[in-house]
Amino acid sequence: MRHIDVHTHLAPQSLWRAFQSGEDWHGMGYEAQGEAEFIVGNGKRILINSPKLRYTPEERLAEMDEEGTDVQVVSIHTPLFPYHWDTGAAIQMSKEVNDEIAGMTKKWPGRFAGLATLPVQDVGASIEELERAVNVLGLKGAELDMVANSANWDEPHFLPLFKAAESLDALLFFHPQPQDNMVALGKTLKYGLPNSVGVVMEDALLVATLIYSGILDECPNLKVCIAHGGGGACFGMGRLDHGWMVRSEARVNITRPPSAYQKQIYYDFLTSSEAGLRFLIDSVGADRVVIGSDWPFVGWDPSPGGWLEGLQSLSQEEKEKISWRNLEALLGI
Amino acid sequence: MRSIDIHAHLTPQCFWRATEGSGEWHTLKRQQDARGREILVAGDRRGQLPPKSSWTPEQRLADMDSLGVDMHVVSPYAGFYNYEMDVGIAAATSRESNDEISQMMKSWPDRFAGLATLPMQDVSAAVAELERVMVQLGFKGAMIDDKINDKLLDEPEYMPFWKAAEQLGAVILFHQGGDTIVDQRIKRYHLPNSVGNLADRTLTFASLVFGGVMDACPDLRICLSHGGGYACYGVGRMDRGWQRIPETDRLAAEPPSAYLDRFYYDCIVYTEQSLRYLIDAVGIDRVVFGTDWPYDMAQDWPVSWILSMDSLTQEEKEAILWKNLEGLLGL
Repeated sequence: MRHIDVHTHLAPQSLWRAFQSGEDWHGMGYEAQGEAEFIVGNGKRILINSPKLRYTPEERLAEMDEEGTDVQVVSIHTPLFPYHWDTGAAIQMSKEVNDEIAGMTKKWPGRFAGLATLPVQDVGASIEELERAVNVLGLKGAELDMVANSANWDEPHFLPLFKAAESLDALLFFHPQPQDNMVALGKTLKYGLPNSVGVVMEDALLVATLIYSGILDECPNLKVCIAHGGGGACFGMGRLDHGWMVRSEARVNITRPPSAYQKQIYYDFLTSSEAGLRFLIDSVGADRVVIGSDWPFVGWDPSPGGWLEGLQSLSQEEKEKISWRNLEALLGI
Repeated sequence: MRSIDIHAHLTPQCFWRATEGSGEWHTLKRQQDARGREILVAGDRRGQLPPKSSWTPEQRLADMDSLGVDMHVVSPYAGFYNYEMDVGIAAATSRESNDEISQMMKSWPDRFAGLATLPMQDVSAAVAELERVMVQLGFKGAMIDDKINDKLLDEPEYMPFWKAAEQLGAVILFHQGGDTIVDQRIKRYHLPNSVGNLADRTLTFASLVFGGVMDACPDLRICLSHGGGYACYGVGRMDRGWQRIPETDRLAAEPPSAYLDRFYYDCIVYTEQSLRYLIDAVGIDRVVFGTDWPYDMAQDWPVSWILSMDSLTQEEKEAILWKNLEGLLGL
């Protein structure tokens, strides 16, 4: 069975090359502290939490061969999102990273596809870069955070970006930052909760925000995929429906109950349990679920595709759709 | 077949009486908005008081009869936590609303049981009030917020509270009050409630487990309202987070999923599919009947909702509607 993985992270080689020559990378520097290593700058201190973040494309391919992944859809490691940077630097970095990913997809066209990084603090520049990434570089869309600095995606000034993505037939893959999310904003940094709990809440909130915002009605052909199976969104969908029924502020933009919109969205299969994945499929349909492994951060047994194939509660047809058919059709690969 | 509701709020009559005209109830006031709806004014905080919240116990009983609910385990309105206020005010409002619930229990012992509200900003005052209501007034426990002025309940300063609750056999029901974690992000579309309540409950589950409270207090009885939020669905990721913590730093001896059946969960998840998932994840003996009376987010026709489900056995329906709470609370 073919395996296409929509959720794989990349810290660009340009960053590691800069560090190796003792240089900064767009204002980010390297720092070691005991055994821990960090990427530091632009107001952030990012732990290098996997040695595989340094992998060259060749090393990445070797591991893909080992785990039987045919295609990785590559996107930037989300703590490197440049939304809070100086706009000029963010535009420059986005172009550089998108060029690097495009280079991988050109050299190994059967093995890599790419999602762009966008300087979303400037919507006009983001649209321009998305057009270049899709039309010139051949990338499949873009990866976006849950918020653009403190602005939610339902704010009207982002609508042109969604319209552009829709007309470019570009996929928007939403992925939260593992640390800088609402749990960390609430200053609950202990026990790794921003990652283990915050990510699930962020994904669920984003699904709810996209649905209630009316963007899915404004852009009926927009292709959206949410990481981590959409967090708890499908499990909590009944509460969103009830809120829509009893609260007028929940109905300002949409005419149907939220659950009617959840099948307009794609979700990766990273629900962390077979029961969770089964629930997601039963909620949104097997046509809307795709492999997303969170490479290189999750240790799959035996591999992302192997895990899927070994599940008892999924039919062969469901496995084929999730493993490759859906992404093949969605991305044309 | 009985039905016992653990998630039913009370805005006490003493508040309504004291705030008649322009009166105050321990600095709390009441006003009407442009549509004539009653609004609680508590310092800078505002809370909407739905029409049923002013109902007398007799009116409440008539509504319970119409819904087929035999018993309310009554807890005070979450707008009266008053944790951000002077502890004297919170202690006074707690005592007075707890006393009113106690009166309801005395007048209709087979219709009302009680969960107290406590001045949690002062742990010793909270423990004292919990002891009073448990020992003197025959309460079943208390309802508290997911955070006490931004602190989660795994902070060491709350350990005496957890120890006292464990010793007293008190059931602690978690229910948000004021802002949820979503408020800081977005206030539109009712999201602070419809996602925020679930997010706050998930954080409570995680912090009590990761923080070692469930290990330190093995007999603690905690009920998470709103089905525990995303806890049962998102616990797989918590397990991976727990595995990443070096063994010597772990405060929880087992992965979070091993603690799912240490908590109780009310059944307000709105879909049969989600309720079935919750039952399968935490065990049928851990799911209890709760309706969120008298708010707009309450489950509509809650008893018939449970009874109508095809995917639950008769035994499971009875466990949820009354047997589990009968056993847990000794009713």
